[in-house]
Amino acid sequence: MAEQEAVDEDIKDLRERFLNREFDEVTFEIDGSRFAEYAKVCGETAPKFTDPSHPDFQAPPTFVSTLVGGRNTPPDFPNLGGMGMDAGKGVEWKAPVRDGATLTGRSHLHDIYTKTGRSGRMVFLVTRMELFDQEGTHIANADTRTVIRERPRG
Amino acid sequence: MADTTVKTIAEVEFGGELPTFAPDTSIEATRRFGKHVGWNTPRFTDHEGARKEGLPGAIVPGVMSQGFLGAMIHRWAPDAEIVAIDTVFRAPVQVDHPHTITGVVTDIDEDEGTVEIDITITNEAGENRVFGTATAKLPT
Repeated sequence: MAEQEAVDEDIKDLRERFLNREFDEVTFEIDGSRFAEYAKVCGETAPKFTDPSHPDFQAPPTFVSTLVGGRNTPPDFPNLGGMGMDAGKGVEWKAPVRDGATLTGRSHLHDIYTKTGRSGRMVFLVTRMELFDQEGTHIANADTRTVIRERPRG
Repeated sequence: MADTTVKTIAEVEFGGELPTFAPDTSIEATRRFGKHVGWNTPRFTDHEGARKEGLPGAIVPGVMSQGFLGAMIHRWAPDAEIVAIDTVFRAPVQVDHPHTITGVVTDIDEDEGTVEIDITITNEAGENRVFGTATAKLPT
């Protein structure tokens, strides 16, 4: 129990130092042919996602998960000792992404938490990219959940 | 098992199943994804290259699996707006292996016009590979 409390303290420290601190900004020029191909390969059939001539042509909401920032953690974030793996993606959709749009993605660490099992502790980092259009309208959040399996102690 | 589409939230039943969807997990599909979208590396587009990385074969990019889930919802409810979707990658989706996506409605909020859906990608052995939860807004 004492060890578990000590473990939680290091995560508490990381949360205090790094959560909600913007560390990356990237610009994306949105190409409708790219998101139309994404839609078709993923199995979308609605013309508004697949046909550039449709009057409401737009990207499927999950497309923003394909927009990759410059980095996933702040430059001064410590090495936690294990290899990071992609554990999941999340999207909050607020407005359509259109062909020809210029989006700005600003990233911060949105959450840090752990799960502990028989094989040890796993640390989860949730990197949130907030996406804004040319007018500064917040159109989506794209979350990447990275899991780091810590090496066994001793 | 439902095999119809819905247009409005009034047509949605709590606990109702979405039509099962068999996504295209072929190597041709991941290569097309790699060419036009990204993730154009051997672990996604070449079985032998993936084996050299210690994988049993090529795997479907996670972002493509997430796209499958969105497509499934739109096939069921063409006018739905997916306002949130969270996807957990539990295990790799192997290329050239058949997978099935199932979904079930877990909540209906008629005041907000939204439904909650649990969605799962399962392989031919019945193992859950990807799990997702989504909130979709439907016309009232």
